[in-house]
Amino acid sequence: MLRYSLRRLLAMIPVLLWITVLSFGIIHLAPGKPTDVLTQFNPKVSLEARQRMEQLYGLDQPVHVQYGRWLSRVARLDFGRSFLDDRPVMEKIAERLPITLTLNVLALVLVFGIAVPLGVRAAVRPGGLFDRVTTVLVFLGYSMPSFWLALLGMALFSVTLRWLPVSGLHALDAESWAWWRRLLDMGWHLILPLAVTAVVSLAGLSRYARASLLDVLRQDYMRTARAKGLPQGRVLFHHGLRNGLLPIITILGLSLPDLISGSVVAETIFSIPGMGRLFYEAVMARDYAVVMALVTIGALLTLLGNFLADLAYAAADPRIRVGGAQ
Amino acid sequence: MSARRSLTHGRSVLVVSILLGLSPPLPAQEPATGDAIVVGSIGDASRLLPLLASDSASGDIVGLVYNGLVKYDKDLNLVGDLAERWEISADNRTITFHLRPGVRWHDGAPCTAEDVRFTYQKLIDPAVRTPYAGDYELIESAEVLDALTIQFRYREPFAPALESWGMGILPKHLLASEDLNTTRYLRDPVGTGPYRFRRWRTGELIELRAFADYFEHRPYLDRYLYRIIPDQATLFLELLVGAVDWTGLTPLQYSRQTDTAYLRTRYQKFRYPSFGFAYLGYNLSDARFADVRVRRALTLAVDHAAIVDGVLYGLGAPATGPYPQASWAYNPDVAPATRDVAAAKRLLAEAGWAETDGDGWLDRGGEPFRFTLITNQGNEVRRQVAELVQRHLREVGVDVQIKIMEWSTFVHEFIDKRRFEAVLLGWSLSRDPDLYNLFHSSKTKEGEYNFVGYANPRVDELLVAGRQTFDREARRRIYHEVHRILAEDQPYTFLYVADALPMVDRRFRNVRATPAGIGDNFIEWHVPPAEQRYRAVMER
Repeated sequence: MLRYSLRRLLAMIPVLLWITVLSFGIIHLAPGKPTDVLTQFNPKVSLEARQRMEQLYGLDQPVHVQYGRWLSRVARLDFGRSFLDDRPVMEKIAERLPITLTLNVLALVLVFGIAVPLGVRAAVRPGGLFDRVTTVLVFLGYSMPSFWLALLGMALFSVTLRWLPVSGLHALDAESWAWWRRLLDMGWHLILPLAVTAVVSLAGLSRYARASLLDVLRQDYMRTARAKGLPQGRVLFHHGLRNGLLPIITILGLSLPDLISGSVVAETIFSIPGMGRLFYEAVMARDYAVVMALVTIGALLTLLGNFLADLAYAAADPRIRVGGAQ
Repeated sequence: MSARRSLTHGRSVLVVSILLGLSPPLPAQEPATGDAIVVGSIGDASRLLPLLASDSASGDIVGLVYNGLVKYDKDLNLVGDLAERWEISADNRTITFHLRPGVRWHDGAPCTAEDVRFTYQKLIDPAVRTPYAGDYELIESAEVLDALTIQFRYREPFAPALESWGMGILPKHLLASEDLNTTRYLRDPVGTGPYRFRRWRTGELIELRAFADYFEHRPYLDRYLYRIIPDQATLFLELLVGAVDWTGLTPLQYSRQTDTAYLRTRYQKFRYPSFGFAYLGYNLSDARFADVRVRRALTLAVDHAAIVDGVLYGLGAPATGPYPQASWAYNPDVAPATRDVAAAKRLLAEAGWAETDGDGWLDRGGEPFRFTLITNQGNEVRRQVAELVQRHLREVGVDVQIKIMEWSTFVHEFIDKRRFEAVLLGWSLSRDPDLYNLFHSSKTKEGEYNFVGYANPRVDELLVAGRQTFDREARRRIYHEVHRILAEDQPYTFLYVADALPMVDRRFRNVRATPAGIGDNFIEWHVPPAEQRYRAVMER
């Protein structure tokens, strides 16, 4: 098991390197430079000033030289400074990570907490009334554009009813409040974004849970379990769920990178300064340093997530462990 | 710190006297202090140092925290800001600024000519990543004559120099040993302005507080809260619940969506022409567009009024040239283009374009008159303008294909390399009418701004003269002629000047629109005590 894990870990390194080479190449292939935002189409900025800025940022060097410099810095865990505001990239990420993590962890708990029971309940009697009604509802949520749903939510709950704030994270005066009041205030601001995220992502997971449980319920050993007279609940929860939810572990593992990658749409609509907006704005401004840091971290987490899912699988299913060790 | 304490003290005296039933110890005509203004902005700031601030959000904040030597007043005249007065030498090459005495930085240190010289040194320091160095490179020497006097000597007369000293002055005592590119003062600025920096939650909020010792007088509004709301629709909903006090509207919002009873009683809308214009630029190295008759014909064929009505909902004015009517450089004798399809057809016929093969399009030598109009993605107004232009030109038999592309590609692959036939774009300009970078024939290198390739020796001459002349009357004559020649030559079809459309909560008094806009007297804005919405905050 240990050797298997080590080997898997080592195999990640070349993959990760390749990902960075490709991303670095692609973002540099895109037309434009980070200094454009500062200098472009401003008649007050001369051509010489623009070229000097490019030189100061090292952007006049060939791409492979720039990549070499970047890699040697990253090897020392220094992701450099953002071109947009000259702040260390890690500082910018650290500033945005807490809110995105909070939002995503809460959303993940909410979505799993609702979707899995929905899927399980629907699988017990496929084609039944509950199955059909939930199917329609979750797909309705899934097919609605999230920005539209968000705007509808704001118009109803914030503008018409005045129950919830329209957008943002804190009340304007929150700075001077006690911590518990600030926490409540933030929770109050998060209700709408969380609800919208949950509604649009229920479908995938609940359908997944339903399908995989149905697969299991059709297995011979389930019939055996029922035939030997076990009560329905024990059959379902002990034999059925344990096997049926294996794919859910994979999904959970694959959600790991999602935890730090916020949704651009939700963050923009709700004025939440999270990772999604950071990444989007960095790409639009060709802020190479920030883009590369986020891509690298995202790739690392994806690889780690896969790895952890495999480990969890191995723990749950010995056959996989044996297969991997050969 | 002492400033803050005295501020709090003043307020508690006021509270006590109100409790005792006494009248406030302020003269009756003096407006009340207090309250906060919440400004809604689509974008966040990036760097809060004047030399490095290049986006409009950073500009908004920097404008309240720092002062330049000069500023524009409500009628767009340059007046003293930190400078009390200035002299320009007879050869127009030396400017001597006399600073106001007694001005203090937010930390209490005095502001002197040394700070001005320091700012100048940083502006031309090649290691400082400022995009604004260009205006200061003509300076030969900067000499501090005494604590409040500084003299700049220019290599040649340069009229925009005066405007360039609207650049915010930096505190030498704090920044002398800092690397300006990365200093912590980029996010914690200290200036001389009416508001001092308080906090910045990235992507969320910037808060400023009134500076009690501001040299004009303490601004009446206690707090300036700059909320970043990146989505236009959300910003509008925030207006509907009264959570934003001041923001800019789109033409659609201004004309169609803000006419409800609630919004009318709660907000005041303003409109005034912005400094900038939209245009159709022709690549003059294209043989078809090199003929001035063709360019004039296309301008005559475009229905300017229909564009202003249809796209801007009437919230703008057809442009006759590069200046808005509020500018002294605007030449009122240049007649606005009125649509004349017959005249356009006549001019095109003179240039050899005629409909001969019955396909509905003009042709010459067997080639139909067909060109591609390119513009950038993400600007709904431009897309609509392009479609209207396409429709208008179809009526004279010119076939326009529209191509919309991502901004960077658009600029680098097409504009910079001059691989375009016609382009739809806009310029926003400073208050000074200098157009050297846009229309001088030397500015046609890759990445420079005369990308249409306009060359007119008389305009070249005038643009140089305009830069070297300080006298307003003489400059007026120069730019009036530039305006007239550009209207004749039509290197661009000047389309329109759009209006700026701010909306401000009615509880703020003294808000008025002038040629300079509405913010120029911001420190005079105040709210009567009964209408104040945000409570005074205790300084900690």
